[in-house]
Amino acid sequence: MTTFGFLVKSMFRRKLLVTLSMLSLITAFILFILLRSVAVLFSGVLEDVSDVRMQTASKYAIIFLLPHRYGEEIASVEGVVDVTHASWFGGALKEGDDSAMTFAVDPSTYFDVYDNYHISTEHLNAFLELRTAAVAPENIMERYDLEVGQKVPVVSTIFPTANGEPWIFDLVGTYRSDSETDFLPFLFHYEYLKEATGVSDVGWYTFTIADSEKASEIAQIVDSKFENSSDETKTMTESQAFRDMMQQFGDISLMMNGIIGAVFFTMLLLTANTMIHSYRQRIPDFAVLKTLGFSDGKVARFMMFESLLFCLTSATVGIGFAVLVLALVGPFLPAGLVLVVTPNTLLWGGCIAVALALVIGFIPAYSANRLVIVNALHAR
Amino acid sequence: MALINLENVCKSYKKGRDRVDVLNNISFRVAVGDFVALMGPSGSGKTTLLNLIGGLDRPSAGTVVVNEQDLSDLSSGRLARWRSESIGFVFQFYNLLPVLTARQNIELPLLLTKLGGRQRRKNAQLALDIVGLSDREQHTPARLSGGQQQRVAIARAIVADPKILVCDEPTGDLDRSTAIEILRLLQILNTEHDKTIIMVTHDPKAAEYAKRTMLLDKGKLVSRSSQPEVEAEVEA
Repeated sequence: MTTFGFLVKSMFRRKLLVTLSMLSLITAFILFILLRSVAVLFSGVLEDVSDVRMQTASKYAIIFLLPHRYGEEIASVEGVVDVTHASWFGGALKEGDDSAMTFAVDPSTYFDVYDNYHISTEHLNAFLELRTAAVAPENIMERYDLEVGQKVPVVSTIFPTANGEPWIFDLVGTYRSDSETDFLPFLFHYEYLKEATGVSDVGWYTFTIADSEKASEIAQIVDSKFENSSDETKTMTESQAFRDMMQQFGDISLMMNGIIGAVFFTMLLLTANTMIHSYRQRIPDFAVLKTLGFSDGKVARFMMFESLLFCLTSATVGIGFAVLVLALVGPFLPAGLVLVVTPNTLLWGGCIAVALALVIGFIPAYSANRLVIVNALHAR
Repeated sequence: MALINLENVCKSYKKGRDRVDVLNNISFRVAVGDFVALMGPSGSGKTTLLNLIGGLDRPSAGTVVVNEQDLSDLSSGRLARWRSESIGFVFQFYNLLPVLTARQNIELPLLLTKLGGRQRRKNAQLALDIVGLSDREQHTPARLSGGQQQRVAIARAIVADPKILVCDEPTGDLDRSTAIEILRLLQILNTEHDKTIIMVTHDPKAAEYAKRTMLLDKGKLVSRSSQPEVEAEVEA
């Protein structure tokens, strides 16, 4: 028997109580990982949004289209570098599954404005050359089992075809982003949409500016150009636009962290109760250990080690299980919803486990240290 | 040569505002190889005296020197180490750890030594052989009878080869025949393995197995005599 083996056996003296408490803590760590990965997803999107990229959309709602000529007027504003546009297509790559975003874009300018998206020259040229061409991000390729070179049928509820058949696109390439957590859309030629439907307006404009410090000034100039027109605009940095969109759901990160905090506070009380209960039941055992020659400090360390073992084991199992669940469930999540467990999340998980162990182990360890052998043996 | 030497030992506790004197000016010596029975009525201070000799408690006054070591000189940590090296404890209620098997319980004190795992198991096995429980090494205390549990407790007490065994009512929870087995085992440890034994007991018949008996009453040593004389005093 080793000291470690002895401590493990001691910890499981009340198997049911400890196992149930451990399961609770494991569940808390599973929740922690899942919620943090959601929070990371949203914060990741915001972090990746450039402050030198701005968006002009309808002042009233993004569903209202803007005239095509606005692009040239925006480009004429001093400080604006590149301008592109995109239109929401609302396409479904699989029947009943419209979770992948589909945009009609201007391929000649889109990747200049979104310089954090990477596409090979070969694929970009193929995209530019063919009117029915489309490119898809890697996660959509994987999710819908697509291959470059194939024809992709897409059904749109916003722009249905005259005969009710799906739109057919030639998938000529793929692209990716610097960030794993970006929601990347399936892209095709705006010109194809324009010719097929006769639509001449666009969804929104995105443009880059030379100096992020001048974002407010430029936004004001752009919006003032279209003031008192039938298509008034609202211009803001892309990060602000994302924040506005996220605020419709509330502060995701705050909500997630709030839930995580509540879960761990409950766990703190529960596991502290278990540890104190476990300690009280084993007071005679600690008295025996001290009688046999285990010092006060050693017995206290046993208690603290047990607490660490309890929390770290639960954390390891919980985090491991959550990572496994994410890996298994990931392919079935909507395209773009990439839940990743970052090293930072793992580090936080470890830190929470250690902090929890220190807090819940402190009272039993302190009590074990102060335990008077004679009194404890007498109490038996 | 005195292995245990108590000089004017007093012990008192505070109970609320009152002070309770448990031991008053106790002085005695125990030689190497002795087997002493400490007798006396309940509350006479037997267990307190035993705790002082075993280094589980400290006297309020006086000196306790065991194996040439003045226990009052030792810090709490050093006293713990000293206990692990010098004293084996046997209690009335065995005090085995319920999650461990018999052999693991016996190995427990050896975790404080530098012995490797194989040597620890070997020593534990030897201790089990001495107490006659080789076939029960994998049994947890719940699967052992009271007598067997006390044998395991004795094996645990001797596994680190201490010079002194301190036994507090070792037969108090056992039936007569089992008690006799345990007392004979203690006798063997005393005579054949040179263990000096101090045993607290209520039972005059148990005390018969000791080489000499000391009688405590109201915290004072009232008699230190050979067996028949003490019996007479207890009966009186």
